[in-house]
Formats: sequence, C-alpha cells, structure tokens
Amino acid sequence: MSSHRLFFGLAIRNLQIHWLRSLLAAIGIIIGVVAISSMGILGNSLVLSVSDSLTDVGDSVVVTPHISFQGMTSTGTDKRITDRQLEQIRRASGNNEVVPVYAGGDRIRIGREILAASIYGVNPQDIPTLLNLETGQFLRGASGVMVGAKIAKENNLAVGSRILVGDEEAGVRVVGILAERGMGFDISPDYAIIASDQWYKDFYDVRGYDQVIVKVRNLKDIDQVKNSIDAQLNRRETEVNVYDTKAILETILETFGRISTFTMAIGGISLIVAGVSIFNVMMMSVMERYREIGILRSIGTKRAEVRSMFIYESLILGVSGSIIGGVLSFLGGYAAIAVMLQETSYLFAFSSLIQIPYGMIFGVATSILSGLYPAWKASDLRPIDALRHE
Amino acid sequence: MDTQPVIVFTDVTKIYPLDAGDVVALDHLSFEIQRGEFIAIMGPSGSGKSTLLNMIGCLDVPTSGDVIIDGKNIRTMTDDQLTELRRDVLGFIFQQFNLILLLNALENVQYPLILKTGETGCTDRCKEVLAAVGLTSDLWHHRPGQLSGGQQQRVAIARALVNDPEIMLCDEPTGNLDTKTGTAIMQLLTRLCREQGKTIVMVTHDPRTAEYADRVIMIEDGRIKEEA
Repeated sequence: MSSHRLFFGLAIRNLQIHWLRSLLAAIGIIIGVVAISSMGILGNSLVLSVSDSLTDVGDSVVVTPHISFQGMTSTGTDKRITDRQLEQIRRASGNNEVVPVYAGGDRIRIGREILAASIYGVNPQDIPTLLNLETGQFLRGASGVMVGAKIAKENNLAVGSRILVGDEEAGVRVVGILAERGMGFDISPDYAIIASDQWYKDFYDVRGYDQVIVKVRNLKDIDQVKNSIDAQLNRRETEVNVYDTKAILETILETFGRISTFTMAIGGISLIVAGVSIFNVMMMSVMERYREIGILRSIGTKRAEVRSMFIYESLILGVSGSIIGGVLSFLGGYAAIAVMLQETSYLFAFSSLIQIPYGMIFGVATSILSGLYPAWKASDLRPIDALRHE
Repeated sequence: MDTQPVIVFTDVTKIYPLDAGDVVALDHLSFEIQRGEFIAIMGPSGSGKSTLLNMIGCLDVPTSGDVIIDGKNIRTMTDDQLTELRRDVLGFIFQQFNLILLLNALENVQYPLILKTGETGCTDRCKEVLAAVGLTSDLWHHRPGQLSGGQQQRVAIARALVNDPEIMLCDEPTGNLDTKTGTAIMQLLTRLCREQGKTIVMVTHDPRTAEYADRVIMIEDGRIKEEA
C-alpha cells in the first residue's frame, strides 16, 4: 500500500510541476462533465415536464370513429359512434366504466372577450369518473356548465359566471370549476367547457358520439379490453380506432427519453475531446520523462509500478475535474432548465440529480481510459533505452 | 563467508542488430568477480565496457552465454525478477547522478527502500546512510537542482547503499566532478568496499581512478585484452 502512496505522491508532484497543462486537461474534463450532466438534467427535466403536462390517465381505452384516407382526401370525417356501437363497446368492456363523449370547439364570449374553446358534452353522472372538481359543484342536470382550471383562471371565471356560446351566443352559467388535469389523450379539459350530453346534443343537433372513453379498473386488463373492443367492432371492416392512453404515454415518454439520450451524447462529445486532451498531456509527460522512467526502472521500479504512477496522474486529473464538473453541473443544469423550461423544481428530482454522478463517472472513466496507453507505453520502455534517452 | 563468485560471465556474447550490419558489443567474454572485490573496467569508447556494466546491472541480457549474478542466471529471469535483483542486490552510481528531480535528497534515498519494504516511515535508515556518505543534514531536504555535483553524487551513493546491496555498479562516478570531489568520492567507495565488503564494479576512462581498484579489466572490441 505504501509504495502506492509513493507513486501517488510522485504523480501529484509531476502534475504540480506542469500545473498549467494539468489545469487545462482538468478543465477539459470539467467542461465534458458539465456538458454531459447538464444535458442529462435538461433531457430528464424535459421528460418530467412532459409527463407532468400530460394527464396521468394511463388507465383509459379511447375509441374514436375510423377515418380512412384515400389519396389526398379523407373519408368519414363526419363519422360518429352510434348507439349500437356504444352498446357493443359496453359489452366488450365488461364491468369497466364506459363514458361516451361529444367533443367539438366553438367561439365563446366571456364579458367582452371573444375566444375559441373546446366544448365537451358528457353525461353529468359520468363527469366525476373523468374529472375532479376544484370549486363549485358537478353538473346535475342539463343546464349549466363546468369549466377547466386554466380557462377559468385566465378569464376570471368563477361559479356563477356567465358564458355565451356559439354565434347565437347561447348563455350558460358556470356551476363548477375543474381541477387542473393537463393535456390528455382522451379529453383536455383545462381550456374547455364541459356541458351535459343533453345540452350538447340539443345545441349542436348531433347524433352519435365523437369518442368513447373506457376507464379500466385494473391496468393489467387494458390490453384485453382494447383487443376485445377491436374484435367486436372491427370484425368485418374497420369501424373504429381503438387506442390505450398508457401505450401513447409510453411512446411519448420513450421519444423524449431518446431526445434526452441524444442531448447527453452531444455532451459526451466534449468529454471525448477532454479525453484526447488528457491522452495528449499524458503522452507528453511520458515522452519528457523517458530518462526519469529509465532511472526509476534501473533502481528497482517494476513495470506495474511505473504504470500505476501514470494512471494515478490521469486519475487525479479525472477525479478533480469530475468533482468540480459535478458541482458546476448542478449550476449548469439549474440554468439550462430555468432557461428552457422556466421551471427549476425538476432539478431536485432523483432522476435529474443522478445525472451528475453519471457524468462524473463518465469523466473519471474517460480520464483513466485516456491514461492507459501512455501508462502502458511508459512501463513498456526498456530501462537501458530509457536511460540512454537525452 | 560465501566463497562463490558473485558475478560470473561464461562465454557471453552481445550483438546489436543494426541496419548497417550487426555490431558485436561483447564477444565470447568469460570472467568471474569475487565478493568484496573492487574491479575497474577500462577500455576505449565503443569497446563494450558500458554494455558489460549494463549486463551486470540486469539492464540488458546477453545474446548468448550465461551471466550469473549472486547465483542467479539473468537469462532465465522475468522482467519483475530482474527488477527485484536490481532493487535488492545491485546499487547503481551513474556519471550523471540520475537522481529523481521531483524528490529531495532524503526522498531520493528513501525511494528504493520504500520499494523494497513498502514502508514510508523508514527515514532513520536513510538519514544514517546520508550521514555516512558525508551529506550534512541541512542538505537533506534540498532538491537535486539545489545541490552541487559532489553532493548529488553522495546522494546517489546513499541511494545505492540504502538497500544494503551486495554489488555496487559505478559508471564513471567521478566523470562529472572536480578532482578534489572525485577523490573524496573514490575514497568513500573504497571505504565501502574495505569496511562493508561491498563488491564494486566501476567503469572508468581515468587511470588515476582505476588505481583505487583491486583489479583492472581492460576491454577492447568486446573482448578482455588484459587483466591486472
């Protein structure tokens, strides 16, 4: 152990003598670690941000009318889910809750403000199945509407506020404000008005639903429910599209995960550059110290001991650069997500913070790998040749 | 006392293959050196005396023939075994001193001792040896660059002695020193041979330096020309 302390001490002294180039090599590692960790934090925060903004409903099967594309035109855009199809969906779904939904968009007026909003028509009994209440109450009958959290906040809507819907400016009264839910794959209520199915049907004069949402009680059954609906309704021809929100959520998160990996890979390039820098410093160190290596070997230093001295040098550069880089990564990650996402709380998530030790491990590993060849080269010198070197 | 010779060369040849043709540095060389002998090897430049010293120092191996150092045939030894032999049995003193520039005088002497014992706290022995070679304690913490040639050579001798080697190999030990310092160094080596029974093998050009030796081996063209 003590001879290791000896070679560790020699490595430190050599780095101190050549402090400028050692510092530059360590800065390379610092930049590499900061790049890889900050990009990792940013990518992970992006995933978390997307996960948060998407609703947490991973437990639904959504059925929509099938729209086929023939050449440049689509057919069936006015298709809706009929009562017969709804009944088939209910049968295929077993004892899971089935919620038929009317969905559309319209012009609305709130006071003097005119804006566009999504409008959903849902059976009042089904609304608590899909949505949570923030203030006021759920719909009880055909009159009144509920509004999403964001549209309420941005337009100062409160329980009792009046909204005028459509060109004919039919007045509806807000009875409840929904809890914020994020963007969903079934419905996105935050900027929407939720009316009763009866009101929607009468107001827009539609027959048939725009989508049917099946809330699956046991997540393990989601594929079975999806396949069962598909088998029931699309037996002869494709009548409906059936998809589950869990799979979509997974696909989106996987995509953002890939983006995260890609950004980390960009950071990794700078770490490779740092590795080349360390390799260069170590090779210079070996070449300048041929004679010293010869002396060490001639007075009884084994090859492995010479090797360890040079590996310690690259290890010291890597560890010191990685520690400083790790600290700066925290600040870099904070800055990156503050600028890109305007939200810094994601930095403190475990999956974000773990990017820092990952980056540091990469930094140390790169340094050691970069030092291996020079160390081997030094230890492989014949003492007699090294001693003759001027 | 062990009466076996400490160094035995038997029909040793060393050939350096070069593009311009092979160079025979040692040509079927045979001789023995007894324990406690002080040997001077002399000869003109290119005669093969440094090759001979390197071979005794296990820094080089023969092309053919056998070199036995302290009872071990170096041709059959691994690199690690040769390194251990250099560390434990041999002490080197070079013309250029060859101290480790990163270390001070005391640390230079400590270095081979730590390699051998694995202990870093072994300063007493090093101080004892430094004092024995005449380096005053105020210089022990000086780096080689802060020492004169004579002082550096004393540190080098202390470093060679610290592991109590059987054989000391000296390559022109006074070559870079003034006459007065050179004389002092030679007296020190002679004392080590006489009082501590060290075997000393010294390569030199200088006949006055060779006068300190018990026996002089003259080399020319890789062969022993004469022994006196």
